[in-house]
Amino acid sequence: MGQHRFTSGRTGRIRAIAAREFKQTVLTKTFIFGALLLPIALVAVGAAIPLLVGGGTTPVVGTLVVADHDGSVAAQMRLSFDAMRAAGTRTAPAPAGTPLTMPLGEFDGAAMPDDPPVDITVVRVPLSADLQQEQARVQSGEILGLVEIPVELLQATPPAGVDISVLVPTASPAKTTAMLGRVAREATVTARVAAAGGDLAAVRALLSSPTAATARVSNQGQRSAERLEVRVILPAAFMFLMWIASFSSANHLLTSTIEEKSSKVIEVLLSATSPLELLAGKILGQSLVGLLMLGMYGIAGLAGLTLLAMTDLVDVFTILLFVAWFLLGYFMSAAMMAAVGSAVSDLREAQTLVSPVMLLMMLPLMLWLPISENPTGIIATVASFIPPIGPFVMVLRTTGAVEGIPSWQVAVALLINAAGAIGLVWLGARIFRIGILMQGKPPTPLELLRWARAR
Amino acid sequence: MTPALEIRGVSKRFGSLEAVRPLDLVAQRGALIGLLGPNGAGKSTLIRMIMSLIRPDTGELRVLGGDALDMKDRIGYLPEERGVYRRMRVEDFLFYIGRLKGLPPSGLRARIAGWLERVELPGVAHKRCQELSKGMQQKVQFVAAVLHDPELIVLDEPFSGLDPVNARVLIQAVRDLHREGRTIFLSTHQMTQAEQLCQRIVLINRGDKILDATVGDALTRFSPRGIDVEPVIDPEQACSALRQMPGVASAQWRSEASSIQVAIDEGADAVSLLAAIAQSVPARRIEVARVSLDDVFVRLVEGHGGHARVPVRGAA
Repeated sequence: MGQHRFTSGRTGRIRAIAAREFKQTVLTKTFIFGALLLPIALVAVGAAIPLLVGGGTTPVVGTLVVADHDGSVAAQMRLSFDAMRAAGTRTAPAPAGTPLTMPLGEFDGAAMPDDPPVDITVVRVPLSADLQQEQARVQSGEILGLVEIPVELLQATPPAGVDISVLVPTASPAKTTAMLGRVAREATVTARVAAAGGDLAAVRALLSSPTAATARVSNQGQRSAERLEVRVILPAAFMFLMWIASFSSANHLLTSTIEEKSSKVIEVLLSATSPLELLAGKILGQSLVGLLMLGMYGIAGLAGLTLLAMTDLVDVFTILLFVAWFLLGYFMSAAMMAAVGSAVSDLREAQTLVSPVMLLMMLPLMLWLPISENPTGIIATVASFIPPIGPFVMVLRTTGAVEGIPSWQVAVALLINAAGAIGLVWLGARIFRIGILMQGKPPTPLELLRWARAR
Repeated sequence: MTPALEIRGVSKRFGSLEAVRPLDLVAQRGALIGLLGPNGAGKSTLIRMIMSLIRPDTGELRVLGGDALDMKDRIGYLPEERGVYRRMRVEDFLFYIGRLKGLPPSGLRARIAGWLERVELPGVAHKRCQELSKGMQQKVQFVAAVLHDPELIVLDEPFSGLDPVNARVLIQAVRDLHREGRTIFLSTHQMTQAEQLCQRIVLINRGDKILDATVGDALTRFSPRGIDVEPVIDPEQACSALRQMPGVASAQWRSEASSIQVAIDEGADAVSLLAAIAQSVPARRIEVARVSLDDVFVRLVEGHGGHARVPVRGAA
């Protein structure tokens, strides 16, 4: 008897439990769809929308008929399209500092970043021409479009309610239509300035607004340039990513524990392993699930930053620190969820006990804006040292404070939150070892504390 | 060799309910012991203490010479409340339990296939547990309990809920394991099976051990000292004839058994009386009355104040 026994011991059992927990979570349709396919689909749809809506990079080639009073607008449009053709396509990146929307009057004839390549021939007709016939040509797709410039728009003070008319075929891509409208608008302004005897270059110079170089000065007198994406968007992305990964994994832990209790398989497991080994294996397995999610979303995020030429925003140290914060945050959430899962018999019963845990886990989300506003302020600093929200707050601070966070605060927060994680896992384990074998009505929070104190 | 199981003064209380009162029990290696008792007697609580799932309030409990917590790989356990991972495939479930019990991965799938054949579950290895009937799931759980060749096998109500065919398969498997030298400790309240299977029975009621004896001793001890007669003549006439015979204390017709129950005087010889009755009363059947384990169970439990108890709450 027992001659084949392989004494893998405690480590082997924990490893087996972790492996099952990991596989049973990530190989489910829910996970594959929710955590893997959904983000991929979202990215794919995001990439496809411009192609679908804007017609992609297909060059706009053909004839555009422009009906105007004296040919001045048609001439300006011809110049613009020639300039755009010469400047190339939208694949050329916009120069640094290019505003997202260019105010009217600042048009310089160059292509906007999203414009498709163009090869457009402008044919001018007088306003008295047979425009019905031109419209028929638009309908048949023979020409790209018909632009009609009312003469009133060339007056020094154009009346309100008079519009440029741009007619395009039904199948014309939205991006092409928008580009034609914009070029017509800008050509009209240019022609109007010229008709009024003004100098467009001088007007443009007068209207150009200077940029404001904002910088923050720390207590130590250190200056750091203000960047909206660093201050608000990047910390939010990191924190939400961490929150989603840790919350999902902790939630999987809760449901798998409840499933083991409700399906009565728990007694079989506990005849083979101790409650603490079971808990350790489950926490470990779900931490791998969280890291997998973090890795998947993280790689997608880094790919996005690479595409936007913003990889300077993150470095290896930030990523390593982020993983450390994730693990600390996850262990605390997991310990609480495991304790709750062990104490109840089904998900319905879990609601009462999960609510306070959820409230705690939601706190970092509520604190996101105030901490992003002032990552070195008193609220942010104090919250960093309070488990279990500390790791989430620290992610916001370390990725958002361009002025930097004192190293001692990072070190102390790491120590305090590590101690908090150990404490919560210990507390969770004490509750787990008793709760996992209990049946009947769910315990009150006071009873949970009694279990934690029990010998 | 140390006993497989040593229980000394073990007790457990849940609130105001004494689930198990101070109890002693020793099971030698290779024994097959039946733990009997009515519902709520404390059987499952005792078994959970043996398995270290709950801690006794008092007393000492040694399993295979040590603490059950350190012996998990050498003990097989089938709990009363069966459970499987419903969405897991049978083979994967058993593989997982085998790994937890310390079995190496190499050869484990072959071992699982062998056991599934042995309990007459061929072709289910790749089915999900939820696709199996309750009886089939119970057999899978039985395999999970014995897959790692444990020295001590603890089975809590292993045959409950099984149809006679499946029950017979598991009874045979238990017999085989016992023959191979395993110590088996099983709880049941199916007396016929206990009588057929166990060498020794331990009866507990209201947390107290009220009987600990071999099956033969228990039956002899509670033998009614009587003779059953199935007459071919009028039962009343037969009863009158029997009552006049020396050594007969009473004779009573039992219509439900279609026989006359003859009680023997203290000191009378049952075998001589049997021969005398055969000569005096025309009968289809005359035999020394036998007691069943069922009778012993009912008599002992009723003599111990019945079995009504507040159900145990809180502990699984």
